[in-house]
Amino acid sequence: MAAEASRSRWSPLTLLAILLAAAVMLAPLIWTLLLSLKENEALIGNSGAALSPPYTLENYRSILQGNQVFRWLVNSIIVSGGTTIGVLALCSLAGFGFARLDFPFRRTLFIFVLLGLAIPEQAVILPQHQLFADLRLHNSYPGLILPGLAGPFGVFFMTQYMRAIPKELDEAAMLDGASRFTLFWKVLLPLTMPAQATLGVFTFLASWNAYWWPLISATRSDMYTLTVGLAAAQMNYAQTSGLGFLMAQAVFASIPIFIVYVLFQKQIVRAMAGTAVR
Amino acid sequence: MASLELSDIRKSYGATAVLDGVSLTMEAREFIAFLGPSGSGKSTLLRIIAGLETLDGGEVRLDGRRIDQVPPGDRGVAMVFQHYALYPHMSVRENMAFGLRNVGVPRDEIERRVADAARVLEIEVHLDKKPGQMSGGQRQRVAIGRAIVKHPKLFLLDEPLSNLDAALRMRTRIELAQIRSRVDAAFIMVTHDQAEAMTLADRIVVMNDRKIQQVGPPMEIYSRPANTFVARFVGSPAMTLAPVELVPDDGLYARVRLGDGAEIETRVPRSELPAGGTLQIGLRPESVAVAANGAATTQAKVELVERLGERTLVYARLSDNRAITAEDEGYSRVNVGDTVGLRIDGAAAHLFDAEERGYHAEARPE
Ligand SMILES: Nc1ncnc2c1ncn2[C@@H]1O[C@H](COP(=O)(O)OP(=O)(O)OP(=O)(O)O)[C@@H](O)[C@H]1O
Ligand SMILES: [Mg+2]
Repeated sequence: MAAEASRSRWSPLTLLAILLAAAVMLAPLIWTLLLSLKENEALIGNSGAALSPPYTLENYRSILQGNQVFRWLVNSIIVSGGTTIGVLALCSLAGFGFARLDFPFRRTLFIFVLLGLAIPEQAVILPQHQLFADLRLHNSYPGLILPGLAGPFGVFFMTQYMRAIPKELDEAAMLDGASRFTLFWKVLLPLTMPAQATLGVFTFLASWNAYWWPLISATRSDMYTLTVGLAAAQMNYAQTSGLGFLMAQAVFASIPIFIVYVLFQKQIVRAMAGTAVR
Repeated sequence: MASLELSDIRKSYGATAVLDGVSLTMEAREFIAFLGPSGSGKSTLLRIIAGLETLDGGEVRLDGRRIDQVPPGDRGVAMVFQHYALYPHMSVRENMAFGLRNVGVPRDEIERRVADAARVLEIEVHLDKKPGQMSGGQRQRVAIGRAIVKHPKLFLLDEPLSNLDAALRMRTRIELAQIRSRVDAAFIMVTHDQAEAMTLADRIVVMNDRKIQQVGPPMEIYSRPANTFVARFVGSPAMTLAPVELVPDDGLYARVRLGDGAEIETRVPRSELPAGGTLQIGLRPESVAVAANGAATTQAKVELVERLGERTLVYARLSDNRAITAEDEGYSRVNVGDTVGLRIDGAAAHLFDAEERGYHAEARPE
């Protein structure tokens, strides 16, 4: 409702600027899509050919013929889905703890978590690799999922979000005889839905696009995620296949992400606009 | 039988004492208002009763049962929060049912109670709305409804009307009075608003400086303030306080002299006053009238005139530079800068001793 009201208030100039910005954002995507629909041979020497027919689905057919692509897709879905669910569960609980429970060393612990934000993945990759090797977790789903669960940003994000929910609600719930769990589950958690959606989408996205750790951890091709698998395939076909095939791979890999965005569009926008809790 | 009993409640935040030895006994079905300036600990006391705040010392009993260590949900109290604190993601119906579900009230009983409360509060048509879709006044009713369905022994209301506009506040005040007469429970309401306290409460508890200053029926608080704080805090505009000297004579009542020499014959029994020590006189504006020179007790120079319609308030200074507030009729001819005569009604005057304790005219036979 509010969005409609503000839309009608846009001046033509604002509208033009927005259309322009949208066009700039969309251009490379459309370009990618067009390239993926061309025969590789047609693009050699002149990628401008993408602008005119004939178009073909040949490149997509070759992707699907790579017999392991579906396996990789499933792997990616399991790993990204698992990571997302795990991150949401952990960060919600941690956020509740940091925002609402009183326990010793709470502040210290929170600062400790925040310090995690400053540590790049690369800095710990060797011990991490060693650890997972010792635990025999390489080439397994836990091996691919677990590192992604340690998300200081998510903890910080959910803590801040829960802190912003008025304490009076907790007090009302206490007077209503709610247990701690009921308070968390029935009162606070539903109110963090917009934040869950945002964090969930970002986590899913990051996990879907993750390349380095899956590349290191999954050495068996049946445990590849889509990113690793497609990259490997690219090396194999680098000579024979060309630009069109490459772009088709890019499009194919982004389809699930696209779906996620479409499904959660409303929550994402709402969370970004910060109007979640009134 | 007493409903709520507070004995010697103490509370401090760190080194700051907020409540220091507060005791109070409420009658069954009594309506009490906590009145006091900001920061006087009204909310803290209310929250201690609710169980949202721990106490450092003292006991809280409700219907004879000690409840200060009992979890808030099991105390038999319900609270209406200043900002309503409705659950934004639940419908009105769910908001009201939530507390009942948590304690395992059967489904049909929940439905019956919610329907009853909704009918009383006239929010039946809103039962399926979310709080965000309702006006402030409607939300307030839901908040009250959420308390009513619990059938508590004691309602706690923290400034329940302060978020409403003037007209709605008036209406809700009347409704509160009606609800109060219907339910079998005691009420405590925190308020800044004297009119609210005076009209709704059976007794007012005036709080300041970590302590209860006075407990009593509204008119007693108004006409027999226990000390200078209560005297100045209750009543608007505030009571004039001025130092006086006791005129030595052997009359039954104290006769006092203002700084400018004017003498006032009070109805405060001389025998009650402490021997020696300084005295202050307390005069409500309505007992100081602008008068023709013949009838005047003293003279004052007018500094500010407030025309309120049915009466006029005159802020003036006596010749010894003491401020005094007087009243005049609606169509007052008094202007700023005038020197006017003031007739002081000694029978309505209050006296306060060096400890600021109040002494009043003997209760008038009705
Ligand atoms: N959680 C807290 N920590 C520290 N001090 C507090 C806390 N809560 C209240 N206080 C202090 O206790 C005193 C009493 O507060 P309280 O909220 O009970 O006052 P009040 O009479 O309700 O005031 P108001 O009319 O403004 O609501 C204040 O000085 C306040 O600063
Ligand atoms: Mg308060």
